[in-house]
Amino acid sequence: MKPLLEVCNLTTQFHTQDGIVQAVDNVSYNLGRGETVALVGESGCGKTVSALSIIKLIAIPPGKIVSGSVFFEGVDILKLSDEEMRKIRGAKISMIFQEPLTSLNPVLTIGLQLSEGLEAHRHLSKQEARSEAINLLKMVGIPHPESRVNDYPHQFSGGMRQRVMIAIAIACKPQLVIADEPTTAVDVTIQAQLLELIRGISKELNTSLILITHNLGIVARYAHRVFVMYAGRIVESGNALEVYHQPEHPYTSGLLASVPRLDEPRKLRLEPIKDQPPDLISLPPGCSFEPRCKYAIAQCRTDKPELVEIDRNHFSACWVAQKGHKPWQKK
Amino acid sequence: MYRFILRRFLWLLLVLFVVLLITFILMHLVPGGPWDREKTLAPKVIEALNRRYGLDKPLWQQFTNYIGGVLHGDLGVSYSYSDRNVTDILIRGLPKTATLGALAFLISQLIGIPLGVAAALKQNSPTDYASVLFSTVFASIPGFVLGILMMILFSVLLHWLPTSGWGTPQQLIMPVICLAALPAAQIARITRASTLEVMRLDYVRTARSKGLREDVVRVRHIFRNSLIPVVTIAGPELANLITGSFIIENLFAIPGVGRIFLNGIASRDYPLIMGGVLFYAFAIAIMNLIVDVLYAAIDPRIRYD
Amino acid sequence: MTTTIEQPPMTTRPHHTLWSDAVIRLRRNKFAMVGIGFIVFLSLAAIFAPLLTPYSFSEQHYNEILLSPSWKHPLGTDQLGRDTFARLLYGARTSLSVGIFTQFIVLCIGLPVGAIAGYSGGTTDNLIMRFVDVMYAFPDILLIILLRFVLGGSIYMLFLAIGLVAWVNVARLVRGQILSLKTRDFVSASRAMGGMGNYITWRHLLPNALGPIIVMVTFNVPRAIFTEAALSYIGIGVKPPTPSWGAMIQDGFNLIFSKPYMLLFPAIGLALLMLAFTFLGDGLRDALDPKQRR
Repeated sequence: MKPLLEVCNLTTQFHTQDGIVQAVDNVSYNLGRGETVALVGESGCGKTVSALSIIKLIAIPPGKIVSGSVFFEGVDILKLSDEEMRKIRGAKISMIFQEPLTSLNPVLTIGLQLSEGLEAHRHLSKQEARSEAINLLKMVGIPHPESRVNDYPHQFSGGMRQRVMIAIAIACKPQLVIADEPTTAVDVTIQAQLLELIRGISKELNTSLILITHNLGIVARYAHRVFVMYAGRIVESGNALEVYHQPEHPYTSGLLASVPRLDEPRKLRLEPIKDQPPDLISLPPGCSFEPRCKYAIAQCRTDKPELVEIDRNHFSACWVAQKGHKPWQKK
Repeated sequence: MYRFILRRFLWLLLVLFVVLLITFILMHLVPGGPWDREKTLAPKVIEALNRRYGLDKPLWQQFTNYIGGVLHGDLGVSYSYSDRNVTDILIRGLPKTATLGALAFLISQLIGIPLGVAAALKQNSPTDYASVLFSTVFASIPGFVLGILMMILFSVLLHWLPTSGWGTPQQLIMPVICLAALPAAQIARITRASTLEVMRLDYVRTARSKGLREDVVRVRHIFRNSLIPVVTIAGPELANLITGSFIIENLFAIPGVGRIFLNGIASRDYPLIMGGVLFYAFAIAIMNLIVDVLYAAIDPRIRYD
Repeated sequence: MTTTIEQPPMTTRPHHTLWSDAVIRLRRNKFAMVGIGFIVFLSLAAIFAPLLTPYSFSEQHYNEILLSPSWKHPLGTDQLGRDTFARLLYGARTSLSVGIFTQFIVLCIGLPVGAIAGYSGGTTDNLIMRFVDVMYAFPDILLIILLRFVLGGSIYMLFLAIGLVAWVNVARLVRGQILSLKTRDFVSASRAMGGMGNYITWRHLLPNALGPIIVMVTFNVPRAIFTEAALSYIGIGVKPPTPSWGAMIQDGFNLIFSKPYMLLFPAIGLALLMLAFTFLGDGLRDALDPKQRR
């Protein structure tokens, strides 16, 4: 079955005073209809930038999509004109952002922010858009939608605002929703509610979902497949549960080990990965993870590993893994 | 919202009262009496004058009388123009001062806002640099200094414009531009800075991600927010305009309130001086009130204070 | 076989204090440097005026009225026979001294008032702020005019009049800075750690807080200079024969068509001086902005 979205060899750079930042380096991933895929990694690894690149929301003066293609429903949307791209944004591909307070315009009512997309893409009249906005608020679980639709963002709590963002994202019934750390800025108790909401809606509308997160717990529960990113590249990809239980890359295993888990004994020590992620301006010639890797071999310093299939549909960019060793896996 | 307006209005009344009080006190602290002229007058004459103008009554009573008068629009009788009262004298100059001020305000907005917006939208382009240079230079040179330079250039050297008077459009050009230049520059600066800041905010990215047309993004999301500071500073701008106008009026010999006021200062005509101060303070306070209400109308966040 | 190699730290940047950083950035700002240059140039001209001209600003030569520029009088003479160039130079002294000395008064009143308001909080703060608000609502120049009448005509009283009106802004700013310092997270954190770090914390925070105050004072200087010029133009500024550029403008106004340079030089002088301080103020503001540290 042809995938809905195919990102092929996407490379995005930022030209800054200090040098060229390699934010996204030769990244490829895909997803099919109705599928949920997770993009995982630390802050600054390029997951958000790759997603923003898909719909060309990168600020073009410092940023530049250097090469690659993004095939959506078979068409390379990176080559579309601005006008055609505009028709896709919001209508076919939409985005949920991380910070609901700053992502909403403080001087416009929620109703207007919901209906402007509806008026622009679905060409609804003002009244139709308004009643649809009320419906959307109902759908995302906001009580008293008829009166709330006239309220302003600062009158909502953080969790409510994020629900509004979700409503805005699904307003025009898009085929693909990109959720960039949708729960990071919210209380833990609300996080679960929001994710269930997102999952429920995406099932109901048969929307594909790219879930960007650094929270591995979410990955296991909500995603079908996962792509692990580090320093602008994908280092591992595969079925979510498989990657979770049998990581084929030391970084993934490091991530897993640094997070407390309910199914492990409480006294088990958390092992953070030492040092910091690399400076994306001056990346080492070999594997970017090598300086922090406990299992690195000589080749890791000199050659950049490519993604290679280790198991069925399970890929890893690691020389050690490709040689058949997985010293980071528990027996 | 109405509570907000009410509160601001009460504050205005308080401010005006304090202005009145301070002005009254200061005027009475001035050394020498109002009758100190070239010729010293006979004591009997001074006594009679004092009685006539109510200056022999105790201070607090003079003050309450004055307030009473003010509430009825009576600002006392001028010492220099002894047959006319202050209110009439000031009102005579009002239309010209008001026109000057209104025109200058309008022009400052019409120049400043587009300049600032254009600079922000085309950052680091020649338009941007020109705008920044213009605003930095003209924000530093007060209207009075600019007026003199303009006069020398346009009247003395080029003979294009007259240096004084009121009535013809040519006579209006220089005074209005001098008065408008500094606010225009400040508005341009603030608009540019504000627009640059708003352009980078998250909600603008959200608006684009919805696939809205660029002009909708600009007007509804960027400008609607970035022009708020322009409204906020409109109050102080108007205040500066008003207080700057009296020097410009003097410079260009425009018979407005400012000229009258300054003549009063020169001749130590205290009722006239007090009346002038009150007039300006009142005008400024009302402008500030209007601006505050406008601000609450466009920014919902401060409405619910 | 695995090898792990120790890497050097990722970024090694030399440690700069806020001030040295600021000075470096200020030096890079061409406009600010030009501004400083002009101010220094004018100050030197004003200080060394007696060396630059043989005339005093008040000498009247009745037989040399309204002369055009010549070797003897580089800018001619005015209607009282005084040398224009000399008056220009000594007038610079007036402008500069008004600009700078008023700031002392402004700081002497504004700093303590603002600091007390910020530190005490509660009713003291409230009272002080109400008073400040009311003063703020009174149009500046009008109050200064009134004060001129009350305080008398000497130049020191002029400093006082201008200073008494301008301190309000500084007080507000100081209070704001102290309030924001008080509530910063790391102040509470240092208290939680036993408060011993408090003194050190304040030592580090205070320079940050001083930045905007320095910038505001720098911007206040041209305002004071202009106020003096405007007041002198109206006739209630410095008393003659003390020279003032504003008074020179007033005096020279009748001659605008015959001898425009009598007006031109003081006007340009004012404009350039104010521009210079504005450039400096802008430069300082950018240099001291902690958000722009690299």
